[in-house]
Amino acid sequence: MTALATKPRSAQTRGASVSLHGITRSFGDTPVLKGIDLDVRPGDFVAIVGQSGSGKSTLLRIIAGLDQGFEGSFTVGDTASEKASSRIMYQEPRLLPWASVIENVAFGLGPVPARDHAFSRARTALEAVGLGDRGGEWPDVLSGGQKQRVALARALVSRPDLLVLDEPLGALDALTRIGMQSLLERVWQEEGFTALLVTHDVAEALTLADRVVLIENGRIALDLDIPFARPRRRGAVQFGALEDELLTTLLKSKSQTEEYII
Amino acid sequence: MSDLALRAGHPAIKERGALASLSRLSPDRLVPWLLPLILLVLWQASASLGTLPPSILPAPFDVAKAGWRLLRSGELLANALISFERALSGLLVGGSIAFILGLSNGLSRLSERVTDSTIQMVRNIPNLALIPLVILWFGIEEGAKLFLVSFGVFFPIYINTFHGIRTVDPQLVEMARSYGFKGFELFRRVILPGALPSILVGLRYALGIMWLTLIVAETIAAQSGLGYMAMSAREFMQTDVVVLAILIYALLGKLADSTVRVIERYSLAWHPAYRKGARA
Ligand SMILES: Nc1ncnc2c1ncn2[C@@H]1O[C@H](COP(=O)(O)OP(=O)(O)O)[C@@H](O)[C@H]1O
Ligand SMILES: [Mg+2]
Repeated sequence: MTALATKPRSAQTRGASVSLHGITRSFGDTPVLKGIDLDVRPGDFVAIVGQSGSGKSTLLRIIAGLDQGFEGSFTVGDTASEKASSRIMYQEPRLLPWASVIENVAFGLGPVPARDHAFSRARTALEAVGLGDRGGEWPDVLSGGQKQRVALARALVSRPDLLVLDEPLGALDALTRIGMQSLLERVWQEEGFTALLVTHDVAEALTLADRVVLIENGRIALDLDIPFARPRRRGAVQFGALEDELLTTLLKSKSQTEEYII
Repeated sequence: MSDLALRAGHPAIKERGALASLSRLSPDRLVPWLLPLILLVLWQASASLGTLPPSILPAPFDVAKAGWRLLRSGELLANALISFERALSGLLVGGSIAFILGLSNGLSRLSERVTDSTIQMVRNIPNLALIPLVILWFGIEEGAKLFLVSFGVFFPIYINTFHGIRTVDPQLVEMARSYGFKGFELFRRVILPGALPSILVGLRYALGIMWLTLIVAETIAAQSGLGYMAMSAREFMQTDVVVLAILIYALLGKLADSTVRVIERYSLAWHPAYRKGARA
């Protein structure tokens, strides 16, 4: 167990490094991100926390290439090598209701002809999230947690170098959430991708991440390394001080904005 | 797409669809026929007792006899076939134009700006109000019926196609784009299936309008078809044939509706509302 305490959890870390330089984004006259600088090592698991509306989703959408209207620059992966691939997972599963579960996973391979090969890859990904036997069903018969697992399989079937996750567990009940957290940690350890997880749950960030970044007023207000061994126990005593620090900063920024509004 | 679902081979999907709907006649399925049957018996009874004079409404038995007579002479089949042909060609012509315009206006803001407000203006003209003009243009040739039916089916299909495409879940479209889908592949895998429920609702409305328009057009301006058959029977006071024609219209309308239901069951099998057990 202690062997996993430090870096190399995966023998072949193929994750992409991520570097952001002065990322700035405004909507109309309202600045949301005011110069974000961040360097993420390949294969790291970074959690991003911050109060609602602090621009976490905006940042993820920029990194995932879904938003072009920003200033500054960022690179994903070693620019010298071949282009790194990234995938995004949302708070909603966003499964196609008219496609079976296995087709939804195969959808993650992009617009390639749906050959047997694609389906065998999809089946492997589906087995990895523990739903190998549900491939033939329609998504709407699955529970919320199962749908999110299908979405995870879809995101991972193309073996991305970077996975960005925008509160993917936010809508799940507490128990399902804990199960999903260990699943997420397991696939991350097996696959070795870089993970950027947005979450509003400080405990979740501490359970999963190598590093927690707190965004406040469009800037990075706190950047903490989480050195604990894996697998971590939820709410472990060592978390106490870190959890305190994160929550205090979060609450302070919340009361500040509230004063502002008043 | 459905063959892939079948290939995935889960019993839950295999079981759905046509086989299930062809299952045995359960009492549940017979209940809707009960009321029509009672009405039929009452009708026959009052006709036999003479409370209902044949000049107002002939007995069901006489209507059946008229049907048999016209069937043997081939007149019925020929007229029904011609009406069916007119209905179908009007649906195909008007429906395809509507579908294409609905797609292009749903997908392109420019196309919408150019054509949509004109279409909305023309929509307010009841298609039957065009009959005098259409007779001036086409006389009582086939063109008249084709035009009226096409015009009638156009609007429900156009509006529902347009609406269906505009209301496809933007979150799904964003997701698909992030997986590299664009252009025709995005349309085929996400936009069209998302719009299909609405498009089929449009088709169902269109079928109703199709029959209505055709009946009126054939009654006023035709020399063949079921409407003409009913109209000329009236001149000879053949009430039985008139009633027969009306019943056949009802039957054809029901047939068209059932066809769309079957299409819905197949192509919307994923949709909880069209699942086995849940009847729309
Ligand atoms: N497309 C958009 N247009 C206008 N404002 C936006 C848009 N997207 C986000 N915003 C605004 O930017 C701010 C940050 O949003 P977001 O990144 O979603 O916050 P978070 O994910 O941290 O809760 C919010 O005030 C939101 O209203
Ligand atoms: Mg957000």
